[in-house]
Amino acid sequence: MTDEPVAREQIETILDAVRWAPTAGNRHLQRFVATTDPGTLRVLRMVSPGMIAKPTAAIAVCVDHALVAEYGFPPENHGPWIDVGTATATLLLAAQAVGLGAGPVSSFSRAAVGVVLDLPEGWVAELVVCLGHPAPDQPRAIKPARLTWRDLTHWVP
Amino acid sequence: MSAPWVLDEDDALELLAYLVTAARTQVDEAAEYGPMRLLTAAHRLAEAMGPRATEATAEALDGPLSQMPLLAVPRGDREQYVEQLDGVCRSVAAHLKTKYAP
Repeated sequence: MTDEPVAREQIETILDAVRWAPTAGNRHLQRFVATTDPGTLRVLRMVSPGMIAKPTAAIAVCVDHALVAEYGFPPENHGPWIDVGTATATLLLAAQAVGLGAGPVSSFSRAAVGVVLDLPEGWVAELVVCLGHPAPDQPRAIKPARLTWRDLTHWVP
Repeated sequence: MSAPWVLDEDDALELLAYLVTAARTQVDEAAEYGPMRLLTAAHRLAEAMGPRATEATAEALDGPLSQMPLLAVPRGDREQYVEQLDGVCRSVAAHLKTKYAP
């Protein structure tokens, strides 16, 4: 990603798209924390070993566990995390649509990110999506082999 | 005569934060991420040291370590990965030997 700043309007467009992502029972147990502050982004990267890029904006996709408990979900229920996935997929597509590069990061200290982003009690960041203007040179992918849809699909019967 | 500092407090803190949080994330992550995290730390250390290092050390940092892909993991072509990593180890050892035990 380049060091060109991301416009706040672009992030707001992305967040507006994300609220349309499907959630179990339309419950919206996810919350989002956005930042373009260089200092916050620098510290966020320091506590996120999986963050290779130096983004100029980031959105943390959080689960509001107080809300999860309020709905009566048992702690081992996967629903809230599945919704993190649908929200993130929508976020990535929306970022692409407004001309930004985006990359999700899950390798970070939840405890440290909670402090860095001043997360309210009960909110836990599950993914941080880096946003920025795409640089011409990208690091080589972790696993360059591409699987086809046939490799990934099992037909029945 | 003591050697000059090659890291300032900001550089050192950044690396410390990376190492501490990587220790935590590695508890839950795939084992193959372990070497990748260590190499990322080495890349970042080299990047921070480079501008203030001696010419010989800067040259060593710019060698095989800099060629090691950032996201390389042992999965896939393990043999090539190990070979490349051994190359980095040999290069570092050669520099250390020249510098401290000629």
